[in-house]
Amino acid sequence: MSLVALSELLGASVRDASGAVRGRVREIAVTPQEHPTRIAFLIVRTSDGERMLPVAAVKSAGSRVRAATDASAWERYSPSDGVLLLKRDLLDQQIIDVHGRKVVRVNDVEMESTPVNSGRGVGAPGLSHVSLNVVAVDVGARGAIRRLSKGVVPSFTLRALLEKIPPRVIPWQYVNLIEADPARRVKLKIAYEGLSKLHPADIADIVEDLPPGDREAVFETIDEEVAAETLEELDPDIKLAVVESLDRDRVADIVEEMDPDAAADLLGELNDEQTGDILKQMQPAERREVAQLLEFHEHTAAGRMTTEFLAVADTAVVDDAIEALKRFEGSREALATIYLISSVQTLVGSVPLVKIATSSPSAQLAQLSEDPVFCAPDTPQAEVAALFDKYNLITLAVVDEHGRLSGIITADDVITMLRHRD
Amino acid sequence: MKLSIKGFRGWRTRVALALAVIGPGFITANVDNDAGGIATYSVAGAQFGYSLLWTMIPITIALVIVQEMSSRMGAVTGKGLSDLIREEFGFRVTFFLMLALIVCNFGNVVAEFAGVASSMELFGVSKYIVVPLAAFVVWAIVVHGTYNSVEKIFLAASGFYIAYIASGVLAHPDWKAAALSTVTRPDSLGFRNYGYLSMVIGLVGTTIAPWMQFYLQASIVEKGVTVRQYRASRLDVIIGCLFTDVVAWFIIVACAATLHSVGKFDIETGADAAQALRPLAGDWAYVLFAAGLFNASLFAASILPISTAYVVCEGLGLESGLDKRFDEAPAFYWLYTALIVFGAGVLLIPRFPLFQVMVLSQVANGILLPFVLIPVLLLINDKELMGAHVNSRWYNVVAWITVGVMIALTLAMFIVRR
Repeated sequence: MSLVALSELLGASVRDASGAVRGRVREIAVTPQEHPTRIAFLIVRTSDGERMLPVAAVKSAGSRVRAATDASAWERYSPSDGVLLLKRDLLDQQIIDVHGRKVVRVNDVEMESTPVNSGRGVGAPGLSHVSLNVVAVDVGARGAIRRLSKGVVPSFTLRALLEKIPPRVIPWQYVNLIEADPARRVKLKIAYEGLSKLHPADIADIVEDLPPGDREAVFETIDEEVAAETLEELDPDIKLAVVESLDRDRVADIVEEMDPDAAADLLGELNDEQTGDILKQMQPAERREVAQLLEFHEHTAAGRMTTEFLAVADTAVVDDAIEALKRFEGSREALATIYLISSVQTLVGSVPLVKIATSSPSAQLAQLSEDPVFCAPDTPQAEVAALFDKYNLITLAVVDEHGRLSGIITADDVITMLRHRD
Repeated sequence: MKLSIKGFRGWRTRVALALAVIGPGFITANVDNDAGGIATYSVAGAQFGYSLLWTMIPITIALVIVQEMSSRMGAVTGKGLSDLIREEFGFRVTFFLMLALIVCNFGNVVAEFAGVASSMELFGVSKYIVVPLAAFVVWAIVVHGTYNSVEKIFLAASGFYIAYIASGVLAHPDWKAAALSTVTRPDSLGFRNYGYLSMVIGLVGTTIAPWMQFYLQASIVEKGVTVRQYRASRLDVIIGCLFTDVVAWFIIVACAATLHSVGKFDIETGADAAQALRPLAGDWAYVLFAAGLFNASLFAASILPISTAYVVCEGLGLESGLDKRFDEAPAFYWLYTALIVFGAGVLLIPRFPLFQVMVLSQVANGILLPFVLIPVLLLINDKELMGAHVNSRWYNVVAWITVGVMIALTLAMFIVRR
C-alpha cells in the first residue's frame, strides 16, 4: 500500500503486456455512481487516439504504469457526463473543505495504491492488479512544489525532498466538489451533505467566497431549511445577487422556510415585480404572513418583528406551555419568552422560558408571569434598541392599538440592526 | 472572505457603488495616468517631440479592446483573472506569471513612490521625509479601511489632468504637425534606435499596464456585474479609455511644445517636467505639476500593493484578506508589507534616479504585457468558459496583432541594444 500523487501519475508512460510503451496517462477517471472513491479507469493517449485502461488491468501505478493487457484490448474513450476526471474537475479547481469550513484550491490529489491478488489457491501466482482510491486532496506546499518540480527534478529525489515538508491535506470525506451544472451534479452524486451540516453562518462564509455560478449551485442543491438559514446570514449584496439568480419557485421554497421578518426584509429589497412573482409561488399561509410584514416600514418595530411567537392563554399551566413549545415552529430566539394572552386576545403577561423550565408542570402561568414590556408597531428602531437596553430584554412584544399582540422582536435582530446602522 | 467594512473587497464595492454614475471605466482611466504614466508621456514629448504621437491611436484601440475583454470575462465568468489562469493553465504557469507580476508591479510601486518624492522635491521637501510618510499613509488608508472616504478626494483631485489639456493649448503647439504626426505612419528609421523602441514599449506598457487587467477584472467581479448589466457598462469602459488617452496625448503635446521645441530633451527631475505647464500657470507651473503628480502617485500607490497581494495569493491558493489576522494569512500580509516597505525603501538610496525609474517601470509593463495578453486571449476564446461571449473575429485579429507587435518590439529592443 503506497501513496501516489495525481501529478506523478499524469503524463506517466504506460507499458502494455508486451512491455513496450504504448502511450501516456492523460486523465484519471472515477465513476461516482459505482463507487465514490475508487479509480475506474485511466485515459491513455496513444498513437491511435485516446483509450480507456481499466484499473483492473493495471499491474502497477506510479511514475510509470504497467498494464496486464495488450494495448489493442483497450477500448476507445468517449466522454460522458457521469465521470469525474481528476485533472479536469479537481486539479487547480476550488473545492469546499467541510472540516476547515472554507473554500480551498486543489494543488494535488493523493491516491492510495493497494495491490490486489486475485490468485486462486496457494502457490498459484494469479492475476494481480492494483486498486487505486482517492484518499485526500493536497492544498499545501507539498503539492505545490511537486507540481512545480515535476519533470525537472527526478521523481526519486523529489519524493525524498517532499517528505520533509509538512503536508496540508484534506481527507476526501471532507471534500465537497463544486459543480455548476445541475445535471452533472446529479450524475456525480454531489449533494453537499457535509456542507449542509455546518452552522449556517459557516455555510454563508463559504458561499461568500465562491463565484456567482457556484453559489447558485450550492443554493440549488442544499435543503430549503438550510438554504433559508444560510441566506439570512449572507452579506446583503450577495444575498440579493443569489436571490435574483435563482429560479422563482426555488426562491419561494426557501423564503417559505425563513422567519417571516427575515423573509419580509429580503423581499423588501427586491423590486415589486420580483417580489410579486415570489409571493405568487408561496404557500398561502406563509404568503399572508410575509405580505403583512412587508407593509410595515423597515425601520420601525413593526418592520423588525416576527409574527411567529409563542402565546398561550393566561389560564394555562406550565404543562400547556411545554406542549406549545413542542409544537412551535418558529425560531429558537423567539422561544425565550412565552406570552400570555387574555380571552379577548390582549397581551396580559410574559413568562421567561427559564421559569417554565424550573417550575412544576401544574403551576399556574399567571402566577409565574411578569409585566410584559411592549411597544407600538410604529416605534422607531432606535427606541426599540433603547427599550432592550433599559429592561435587559431578550424579546420585546409589539402590541397594536387594541392591546393585542401583533408580533415580537428578538435580541439578535436588534444586534444586527445596531451593527448595520453605521 | 467577508465583505466587511474593513475588507478591501467591501471597499472596492463601495467605491464602485458610490460611483455608479461614473463607473469602473473612469476610475481605471484615472489610475492609468499615474506617476509612471505622467513621466513616460512627458519624456516621450520632450525627447521625441511630436514624432511619437502616432502611437496614440493604435494604443487607444488596443486599450479599449483589452479593457473590454477583461470586463467581459469578469462579468461572464464571475471569476478574477488569476483564478481563471490557475484553473485553465495549471499551477506552474500561474506560479511563474505571478512571480513576473510581483517583479513588474514592484517596479510600478517604486514608480508611484518616486512620483510622490519627485513632486515634493519641487517644494524642497526631502524625500527622506516624504517617502516614509507616504508609505505610512498608504498603509493606513488601506488597512484601516478609510479608503472609501479618501478615494473621492483622489478622484476629484484627478481634475488636475485638465491642466495638461489647458497647458497644451496655451503652449500654442504646431497643431498641424501634431495632428499629422498622430495619423501618419511612423518613419521606420526610428525603430533601429534603442531609445525609440523602449519609449514605444513604455508608452504601450503605461497605457495597458498588466496590473490594470487583473485589477479591472477583479473590480467587475467584486461589483457583481452580470452579463445583462455588463452591456450598459461597456460604454463607460470605452469612455474611460478615450479620456485617458486624450489626456496622454495632451501631456505629450504640452511637453513637445514647451520642452522639445526649446531643446530641453532630457527630463531628469520633476522640475524639468513641470516646465511643461508654464504656458498655463507660469511660475505656478511647479505647484500645478506637483499637485497633479502627487495625487496620481498616492492614488495608485494605495491600490497597487494591495491589489498585487490579492491577485497573487488568490492565484496561488494562499489565504488572503484584510479581515484575516496576520498569522491567518501570512503570505498575503508579508507580500503587501514587502511591496510597500521595499517599494518605498528603495527610493531612499542616495541619488536615486527618480524619473528614469518611473519610465523604466513602464517599459517592464510593456515587456510583461504579451505574457498576460496571451492567456487572456486563450481564455476569452474558450467556448466552454465564455459561452456565446467569445471574441468576434476582428477582435481577435486586433488583439493578436497587438500581442505580436509587442513581442516583436521587445525582441527588437534587446537586439538593438547589443
